Amino acid sequence: MTSLLDRYRLMARMRAFEDACAEGIRSGELRGELHLAQGQEGIAAGMVDALRPDDWMVSNHRPHLHAIAKGVPLFPLMAEIYEKAVGLAGGKGGHLHLFDPDHRFSTTGIVGSSLPVALGHAYAARLQETDDVAIGITGDGGTNTGQFHETLNMAAIWSLPLVVLVENNEYAISVPASEVIAPPGIAGRAAAYGAWGRRVNGIDVEAFAAAFDEAVAHARSGAGPALLEATCHRFRGHYEGDPDVYRSPAAHAEMAATGDPILIARARLLERAEADESSLDRILREATIEMADLLESVRAAPAPDPANALTDVFARAEP
Amino acid sequence: MTLRANANLSELIAQTMEMEMERDPRTLLIGEDVGYSGGTFGASRRLFRRFGEWRVRDTPISEMGFTGMAVGLAMSGWRPIVEIMFTDFFGVCLEQIYNAVAKNRYMSGGRVAMPITIRAAGGAIGVAAQHSQTLWGMLAHLPGLKVVAPSNPYDYRGMLAAAIEDDDPVVVIEHKGVYLEKISDFALGTTIPEGRYTVPIGQAAVVRPGGDLTIATLSTMVERSLAAAGILAAEGIEAEIVDLRSVVPLDHETVVASVARTGRLLVVDEDYQSFGLSGELVSRTVEALGPSGVRGLRRLAEPDVPIPAAKSLEDEVIPSVAAIARVARELVA
Repeated sequence: MTSLLDRYRLMARMRAFEDACAEGIRSGELRGELHLAQGQEGIAAGMVDALRPDDWMVSNHRPHLHAIAKGVPLFPLMAEIYEKAVGLAGGKGGHLHLFDPDHRFSTTGIVGSSLPVALGHAYAARLQETDDVAIGITGDGGTNTGQFHETLNMAAIWSLPLVVLVENNEYAISVPASEVIAPPGIAGRAAAYGAWGRRVNGIDVEAFAAAFDEAVAHARSGAGPALLEATCHRFRGHYEGDPDVYRSPAAHAEMAATGDPILIARARLLERAEADESSLDRILREATIEMADLLESVRAAPAPDPANALTDVFARAEP
Repeated sequence: MTLRANANLSELIAQTMEMEMERDPRTLLIGEDVGYSGGTFGASRRLFRRFGEWRVRDTPISEMGFTGMAVGLAMSGWRPIVEIMFTDFFGVCLEQIYNAVAKNRYMSGGRVAMPITIRAAGGAIGVAAQHSQTLWGMLAHLPGLKVVAPSNPYDYRGMLAAAIEDDDPVVVIEHKGVYLEKISDFALGTTIPEGRYTVPIGQAAVVRPGGDLTIATLSTMVERSLAAAGILAAEGIEAEIVDLRSVVPLDHETVVASVARTGRLLVVDEDYQSFGLSGELVSRTVEALGPSGVRGLRRLAEPDVPIPAAKSLEDEVIPSVAAIARVARELVA
């Protein structure tokens, strides 16, 4: 089992990775929307024990940390986010559309659409008679799409090995979940499908890891789908550049002080005397340096050849 | 596998899927009423009994969910055939079709394949606006999808087999007006070889030679155009008829070569006129031959109205044999 110290290191690397991504927005190297998951590291870092290389994961529009958790190599991952020729998709997907079939990872940029795709992987696992599971990830906003219902219903009637992971960061762009979701919480909807359901504090990496292990074990056992709701905070706006007028400075200060999974893990490590301040600081510094070096090598990589814009629509070029 | 002497088209489609599913164990069929009932038009009969519920899956009425499921299946190495009962229901699952099915290969830089066949019944048989569309123009507008609409039994088998073995997503628009027609009653393609064969996607066929005008069309309008050509021939007008067979890829070269001989093009299309196949084909022909290379151009398509229910109204908006003959006459005059 991954130690809390290792999870702390992973979370620090995840945050530094996204800091390095955000630099591209500030510098103008990246255009368009970049959706960061800073504040949600507890969830991604909590997934690593339960996941196997053969499990499939389908992520959403905030996919970087999930990709890291699934083992997607960081260089092609960041290079794709920076739209480089050596990126996962040669710059055709960008940060919203990350595909790494070698690591059984994909994304969709459309809210809610990840879940039916994960359902397909779960169906395939049943067809192949393996005990692989599929993880479909959405946010609280995605649970208001019909696909959430359709997916859980089909997974339940066919007892498919699917984990629907809901990262409930309380905001669908700017609209609070409490104003647009009728029942209290999301995990309770599992009962409607006779599925396993649980709500867990996603900023507590250990609590999340335990719940995720259980959800995956349930799905892997052949007992049908699991719905895991992880509460968390999105520190950044919906995208980099979002003026974030829907949350007050006080709310941000509160999140940073009490809702940061890295700080919570840090306090626990100190309390348990599993690490001291200086070693934890060193981990943060090392993560920053690692990702700065990574960014430097990504920046040095060439942009895609313009001629490639016209390839890969079909398997073979049209006659 | 041989077909019954009086087999209908839906039986041929079912048998084609049976052959393909037997040939490739990664192929499976998912959709509404494809299992127990054997398909609304009988186009998947026997398959459920033959291959079982895991390869022939009756789904809930969840087009978005099961179309997305096909995306995950394809990425997991399977080759799903998805039946969207009527083309009109594409609206329910279009998100998965145009954002995932059509784009995942491109967005992954070619690393992900989407060998998905989407079958749907299109066309008008008196079921009005929400159950009568063909929509191939709309689907063809979205990059990443191949779109085919066969006209005769030989092509229905060969193009469906080609779609299923294709590594790219192919939408096959079948016409609900001909599912129950006997194979022997079609005008063309009534001889079906016993062994497996494919018809390449993207090659039009000249199904009737003629020197006075070119009629480019597809699906059931091929038969109507042939009937119209018979009327015209009695009047001394020889129409050359090109069965396009697929909208994407669009074999405009065959059309252009024909128009280069005849000088005139009439596109007959059972789809809405504006922003669709007919305009596209006319454009490509003019681009290829130049404005002076063509003596006349006409389109006969649905006049940009929803399809009405009453027979007299439907007949007015769906190209008829008489209308095809009339417009052809005007074009040649």
